[in-house]
Amino acid sequence: MNGTRQRLLSTPGRILLVSTSILGAMAFLWPFLVSATGTVDSAHHHDAPILLLVIAPLLLVLLAVEVSRGRIDARGIAVLGILAACGTALRIPSPGVAGLEPLFFLLVLAGRVYGPGFGFALGGLTILVSGIATGGVGPWLPFQMLAAGWVGAGAGLLPAGTGRAERWVLAGYTGIACILYGTVMNLWFWPFGVGGSTSISYVAGAGLATNLRHFIAFDLATSLGFDLPRAVLNATLILLVGAPVLVALRRAAARTRLGPSVEVLSEVAEAP
Amino acid sequence: MIRFESVSFRYDATWILRHLNLEVAEGELVVVVGPTGSGKTTLLKMIDGLVPHFSGGEMLGDVVVDGRSIRDTPPTELASTVGYVGQDPAATFVTDRVEDEIAYAMENLGIEPSVMRRRVEDALDLMSLHELRDRQLATLSGGQRQRVAIAAVLAASPGILVLDEPTSALDPGAAEEVLASLTRLVHDVGLTVVLAEHRLERVLPFADRVVLLDGAGTVEVGEPGVVMASSSLAPPIIDLGRLAGWSPLPVTVRDARRRAGAVRAALDHAPVPTTLVGGTEVVAIADGLCASYGSTLALDGVDLEVRAGTITAVMGRNGSGKSTLLGCLAGINQPSCGVATVQGTTPTALSAKERIRRVGFVPQDASLLLYCQRVDQECATADEEHDLAPGTTSASVARLTGELDPARHPRDLSEGQRLALALGIVLAPAPRMVLLDEPTRGLDYEAKRALVAVLAELRDEGVAIVMATHDVELVAQVADHAVVLAQGEVIAQGPAREIVCHTPAFAPQVAKVLSPLPWLTVAEVAGALEGVR
Amino acid sequence: MTRERRPHAVAWWLWSAGLAIAALRTSNPLLLLLLAGVICVVTLALADRTGGPSPLGTFARVAAIIIVLRVVLQVIFGQRVPGHVLVSLPSLPMPSWAEGVSIGGPVTVEGLLSALSGGLRLAVVLLAFGAANSLASPREVLRSLPGVLHEIAVAVTVALCFAPEVLASVRRVRQARMLRGRPTTGIAGMRGIAVPVLEDALERSVQLAASMGARGFGRRPVVRSRARDRGAVALAIVGSLLVLAGGYGILAGSDVIPGAAWLAVLGVVAAAGGVLLSGRRAVRTRYRPAPFGWRSTVCALSGWATAALMAVAGILDPASVTWSPWPLSWPAVTPLALLAIVVGLVPIPVALRPSPRGSTRALVEVGA
Repeated sequence: MNGTRQRLLSTPGRILLVSTSILGAMAFLWPFLVSATGTVDSAHHHDAPILLLVIAPLLLVLLAVEVSRGRIDARGIAVLGILAACGTALRIPSPGVAGLEPLFFLLVLAGRVYGPGFGFALGGLTILVSGIATGGVGPWLPFQMLAAGWVGAGAGLLPAGTGRAERWVLAGYTGIACILYGTVMNLWFWPFGVGGSTSISYVAGAGLATNLRHFIAFDLATSLGFDLPRAVLNATLILLVGAPVLVALRRAAARTRLGPSVEVLSEVAEAP
Repeated sequence: MIRFESVSFRYDATWILRHLNLEVAEGELVVVVGPTGSGKTTLLKMIDGLVPHFSGGEMLGDVVVDGRSIRDTPPTELASTVGYVGQDPAATFVTDRVEDEIAYAMENLGIEPSVMRRRVEDALDLMSLHELRDRQLATLSGGQRQRVAIAAVLAASPGILVLDEPTSALDPGAAEEVLASLTRLVHDVGLTVVLAEHRLERVLPFADRVVLLDGAGTVEVGEPGVVMASSSLAPPIIDLGRLAGWSPLPVTVRDARRRAGAVRAALDHAPVPTTLVGGTEVVAIADGLCASYGSTLALDGVDLEVRAGTITAVMGRNGSGKSTLLGCLAGINQPSCGVATVQGTTPTALSAKERIRRVGFVPQDASLLLYCQRVDQECATADEEHDLAPGTTSASVARLTGELDPARHPRDLSEGQRLALALGIVLAPAPRMVLLDEPTRGLDYEAKRALVAVLAELRDEGVAIVMATHDVELVAQVADHAVVLAQGEVIAQGPAREIVCHTPAFAPQVAKVLSPLPWLTVAEVAGALEGVR
Repeated sequence: MTRERRPHAVAWWLWSAGLAIAALRTSNPLLLLLLAGVICVVTLALADRTGGPSPLGTFARVAAIIIVLRVVLQVIFGQRVPGHVLVSLPSLPMPSWAEGVSIGGPVTVEGLLSALSGGLRLAVVLLAFGAANSLASPREVLRSLPGVLHEIAVAVTVALCFAPEVLASVRRVRQARMLRGRPTTGIAGMRGIAVPVLEDALERSVQLAASMGARGFGRRPVVRSRARDRGAVALAIVGSLLVLAGGYGILAGSDVIPGAAWLAVLGVVAAAGGVLLSGRRAVRTRYRPAPFGWRSTVCALSGWATAALMAVAGILDPASVTWSPWPLSWPAVTPLALLAIVVGLVPIPVALRPSPRGSTRALVEVGA
């Protein structure tokens, strides 16, 4: 199984991936962090999220640069691009406004076969490409890319296993990941999307518990109707269609053996 | 220019090439010939370093290309020396416009923008693509894509061009164009071209030398006439030459015609075999059929009658509506006007289970029908879904191709075996009519012979066969009736012999050599000469 | 070098970024409406009419949905704040763990107006994005990306070109299955369609990789030095730590970590240095790059001028850019704010120029 995983990132790249993830998490969770630290600085209050919203995509760009300049070769790019195309084709008929995006089932399976670095890149790339393909490169895109990247990377970090147990683990992970994806995107939208004067808004200066309560109410109110169907759809797809797809992906990965070039031998045991 | 030094290679357990020695001089056009699985593609990819750097495997010996060893040089470093064009050009496009695609290789090589500009114009001229320069790649036809792929590789000014089956997807006209451009490049620019092709009748006239791989890993190299004399794979012109005892064997139609005087004289009064009329039962009718493919009108008022026990060939340029016609008969395309009926009912009105008992359809890409992971699973699922006794499908497949390893993954089979598997599955419910779309693409002569035998057998059993093809040799060997389509309309219809002999674009080699006599295959000529003696 | 015929794709994105920032700096609904008007006018005048739905329209729809969502949330969850009551909805009692959240209750005019104006601000930002998508399709931007992002740009292009092929492949496989009487819906149908399509796609990726490699993709000089690698790792670590520290400082307020924003920027620069050091690639040239001349510069600067002027107006006269429904009052427009908005119209005379062949289609083909 390890033969199919490929090391997409060099060491600086992995450091960057981790720090991008942490910064991305901060960029998503900033309302709670500010509430928890309890400081209110009204002069820069509105700038904080904007700054973070700008820096996180910058780091994403850096990550893209790292992938470009790193170990990836033509085979890796080709598989990345083609799988991103498949993911986009899954997403196009049902664009992200509705909840039913079968994309995640392919993302999780590919992340499982190819490893966490590849899964992260595939998640981000698929969201980017489907955004471009549908003519909708909006401000939400870097954050969707990050969140989808986390879904793909997480799939690669799951413990090894095969057969039915593997499928059930993957299905469970997919269900949870889909719900978390929706929650995370809601978290991005919540502070500025809801406005300041409802009882479920983000209130600067209120305590952590209050804001948490408000957010949970907002989440339940608006998006569980999207997230649950998405989670159920993708998890079911893994259970029903996952086995042959995994076989196909593994076969292809073993055949192409992505990564640095193969060693060419001078002698072999048997003569031709 | 290219030197193979005792090269042996294998992907897994079996050695594909053994101690291969080969030298290709500068400015030669070399054709690599061999049955499927004999290592033609491996040999070609080795020239560019794609084997072993991209494919893995074990390699002994070395290949030296323009002074550089393949073992040490990855394919990216060889991009300015060797250009490789694969079988499916559409799969190799990296950008979305013709001009950008052509410039891509040069961008990678870091060439100056002004030089790039000039070379792009040169490449466009060499492959006659100037009207297409701004087009999106997705809108091009098969022949145009092939030319763009070649231009994209030429723009980097390599000294060697390697092509893997460049004409397999093209109709005879487009194939002629591409081969003529290649020949012009060899003669005018001094390019070295190495190409592999199954349909030898198209390329042999242009070849300087032929490399024959025999499937056991060894190789025979020499002039076309000499190598073909002892080869089992040979185009009809060589067979004719062997039959008539010509020596040296002619490889071009012109050479053959010059020597065919005696044969023509002998056959002048021999009776031409008549077409069997076949059953009088009409199995399918198309009456004033119109259909659209996307937004274009693919069929415009097509009338056709298909009788039991006959083989009908539908011919025409790529894009003339052949596949759409088959689709209407099979019930996948909905005609926009006119009627298509199979045994009295419209195929779109039938349920799937009833339809497969009346019409069987094998699409262009046979592997679209195969989705299981093992051959035996595939057969078993087919039995289940078609309500047949278990084992019917495997018997049907075995009849076509002998024993297939039941544990193999269908995608690992050779082209001929995959076609046989798909055809076996389609034939298992014993339909009255079978439709085949381009059945001989990618098949070598051996597999084609097997297919011809199967089709003849089916015809004798009373099955009606309709095939869309631009393989004129196949039509010559097996078709009773021929229909020629152009732009969705029927421009000629009648007995195959008449249609094929009177249309130069679709005439088989034997007909071209013996024209104006209407003989289609070497077997017919042999039979007639026997009769004359 | 090609002469510049139309503004560069990146210039349009810079322009719309400027307008979006200007929108974020103000909460005055009148100014926001004017900004929206400017965006729409420029887009309608200058965008190419290609097939398919206009991105501006798509984003406008999304913006409308967001405004409606905000109003609905305001109506249902509005805070109990005194104001002019429009209608009073029955309020639901909430369990104790959801204390602070209120459902129903009086709906005030001020609350609705606040929701509308906040939604309007978001809508203008979205419209700016829609305009950028219309005026400079992301595919053009892809072609102009810097060389360091080349491999990723290739992956994106490959994916964009191949996605419609996947859909076509699905259609073909479906047809093939229908012919053989195999199910095309349900579990068996999905497996039977998904697997061949995926296997086809993966086989294609192998051929694509071979073709890319054979055409020189990914050449890199072989020389490596350990010192350089170690330096790259160190820079990346330092940069990441700085960014994280800076980010935390921004969140926690400027007193906890002084100069937090600058720290973060420094960290980004250091991380960039680490990344650039660690990769090795050969030089790549570009075929017929789109020129970035004075037209593009003017367009980009006009957007940023709008943002700058709006910021200045906010500093000099805060009342002109902020507006609140408490107390209820009409929004006012000051000359400086108006100037800021009008500056955003500058691209129209700059970019609109008849092509030599007298048709805008030719303008597209020649300049792209």
